[in-house]
Amino acid sequence: MKHDPVTDAALALSLSEIAALSARATRGAGRSWGEAEEAAEAACWLARAGLDWAGALLDVLEASAREVDCALCAGIALADSAPLPDAMTAQVRRVTSPCFLLPFAARIADQTGQRIRLNWDATQVVLAPHACPLIVGPLRLSGPAQVSITPDPQDSPACPDWPQPHRGTVQAREYARLTHLMMAFTVPTSASSLAGAGAQESDND
Amino acid sequence: MSCEGLNPMPQARAFRRSPDEVMRLARMGCSHPTRLSFLRQLLRRMQSEGWRFDRPIWEIDAEGVGRAVYRAIGPARTYSLVAFAHDLPPEARSDRVIATAWDATFALFDGTPDAADLDRLAANVPLQEAGRISPRELSLSRANRSVRLFDHVVERLAAGAQPDAAMLLETGYLMRTTAVYGSGKFGAADRAAIAQRPELSAPFQAEMLSVWLTRAFTVDLVEHLARARGGDKAARLVPDLKRGLGVGNSTGLGMAPFVIRHPVLLNNWMLAREEALARVRAQTRVGADELAGFQAALEEARKNADLWTSAHDMQRAKLADLSDGLARIIAHVAQGWDRSTRHPWNDLWHWGQDNLPMEGQEALLAAMLEPHGALIDGLGECMDADENAYFPINGAMRAGELRAIVQAHYGWALGVDYAQPAQCARFWYVSEDKLEPRLGERHHEPGVDHELPLDTGRQAAALWQALQDQPEDLPVAHLLLAKPEHRPAVRRAQITARHPFAEIRDNLIADDMLPIDILRCKLAFFGATRFDPRSDRWVRISLFQDAPYPDQMTGGAHEA
Repeated sequence: MKHDPVTDAALALSLSEIAALSARATRGAGRSWGEAEEAAEAACWLARAGLDWAGALLDVLEASAREVDCALCAGIALADSAPLPDAMTAQVRRVTSPCFLLPFAARIADQTGQRIRLNWDATQVVLAPHACPLIVGPLRLSGPAQVSITPDPQDSPACPDWPQPHRGTVQAREYARLTHLMMAFTVPTSASSLAGAGAQESDND
Repeated sequence: MSCEGLNPMPQARAFRRSPDEVMRLARMGCSHPTRLSFLRQLLRRMQSEGWRFDRPIWEIDAEGVGRAVYRAIGPARTYSLVAFAHDLPPEARSDRVIATAWDATFALFDGTPDAADLDRLAANVPLQEAGRISPRELSLSRANRSVRLFDHVVERLAAGAQPDAAMLLETGYLMRTTAVYGSGKFGAADRAAIAQRPELSAPFQAEMLSVWLTRAFTVDLVEHLARARGGDKAARLVPDLKRGLGVGNSTGLGMAPFVIRHPVLLNNWMLAREEALARVRAQTRVGADELAGFQAALEEARKNADLWTSAHDMQRAKLADLSDGLARIIAHVAQGWDRSTRHPWNDLWHWGQDNLPMEGQEALLAAMLEPHGALIDGLGECMDADENAYFPINGAMRAGELRAIVQAHYGWALGVDYAQPAQCARFWYVSEDKLEPRLGERHHEPGVDHELPLDTGRQAAALWQALQDQPEDLPVAHLLLAKPEHRPAVRRAQITARHPFAEIRDNLIADDMLPIDILRCKLAFFGATRFDPRSDRWVRISLFQDAPYPDQMTGGAHEA
């Protein structure tokens, strides 16, 4: 890809590029395929909402603190439990990247038809079924935080519509970090693969 | 979209083939294009909606270098193929995805490009993967000349003569594309951003439109070069010869994992085709028009089989099977087919099952669909997929239900001993150089720890094992907390429960697995002909041979 990390401040990626990069970077970071698929889906959701998908993903993948829950794992567990009877009791979790919980909480809203509210620090995010997130207060993206997840009492304003553009931006340094993680998951093309993969003779026929 | 509940022919259900029969690689590797193929859908829509076509820019010099723009103007929107023609030295010409220069490069632009758009595209499209396109572009592609034929055609036309018809038929195209990227690749518009447009909702319509306009460009280019060389005495290609030319395509492993990674989409393609076949089999009579159309389709298939050659031993055996099968079908239809029975098409189908090799059976399918447009063409609208709707895992499903799903849909995978070297001989991975999917030899090459999760059978078998000692009422959400490694298999199983044609029912890492079987199935859905494998993992094909050109789309002279 034509991209100079020194001079380019940000790069716009399509959602399919974000999905591919996120899945491979997550796998490159040593996570399972199940987590990689979920991370890609979540990154696309954040990008569509205009949020810092790359920063949030890197927070998840590069976190080392043991005493904090991984937001990706916590999000997956939350979303999987959405249709269970005890799913939406209030929860408080300390996670690596609170922002990365949002796509999974949104899935709970989608599946249960309930509005969900997340609070951390001075930030409040309301998720209505299939709607773009309503964010109140400063959205602190980096670093771990204590997040409470509760049903929304329906006293928040209506959630906004999804923005039209199907894109996401990424800062050059974050793009380089994600690409570095992704490359850890690739394999040099082998001699036998090369042998069957193209013409043995010239293509000037 | 889901067409459940809208089916006007529920009685056809009894005539459907089972996924266990259809979703085997050996049969998928005998797929033929049908009237539901994506390029046919594109042509039919453009004809029925009266699309117009023009070429507002043609700035190509006497050496064949420059730019051109072709527009397809529909009732709601216009799309433009922006073509750049280059001077490529022979030593740089390669069909491999690792090539860095081509005879021509293209982008399909959303609308009519202005000067600034064209300058932006000129700076990026010729670079292909090394450049960057924008959401205004729907596809990015490149093509190389079929040098021998291209030069021959220019030479003959320049001399005021027509090219050798046999040579034209043998190759079948002036240029072959070596990659056609869409769906958000390299910055292009995402599929989701355009999927709601009726003209692009069927799969790969933007890519098909790009290739079809590329075909017009290839002919314009040889005629232009002939005029530049021969002046007033230069001839134009006569319509008969021109019509037999398609666009070639060289493609490899890269497209195989697509159908594995998009199970809902694969299901919808297969289900539409199988429903079409079931509807035809359910018919209680053979109308005169249908009989004539069927026989014409068989005759076309026979002609195509005669022209279809391959240097690959395996494909040659298949071609022999095809020719033999078609000859038997034609003879049976002429003499043995009793059309007075209750379900004559179904009887013919059963005769085919008993008497034809698999190549012949699948060719019979394509021919049977051909005269039944009114009955089946609407199924084309069911071939896209809302994949996001099926991504979330249903954590409330109980282990007992999941076990029953695996047993019902993955029987083909459960009896395999994946510890045997032959049953796990291959692994799929992403290449470091081009970030493309590749196939490695597990026992002889490094990289196994970076394997892609395309070992669908082995994963299903592992899930089956993991489910054995679980309580019946354990929620899947709890199972996955304890055994997260089974997440991809659980998702596929839950998808397959609702989409029975979602899964290729073969071991995709076995030593005898042939990637070209996957390619042939996918390419048949595109509408590709002349499937010509050059190894077990890459092929050449042709698209749009015998299809109308833009200037032949009005008047109904050529039904798509």
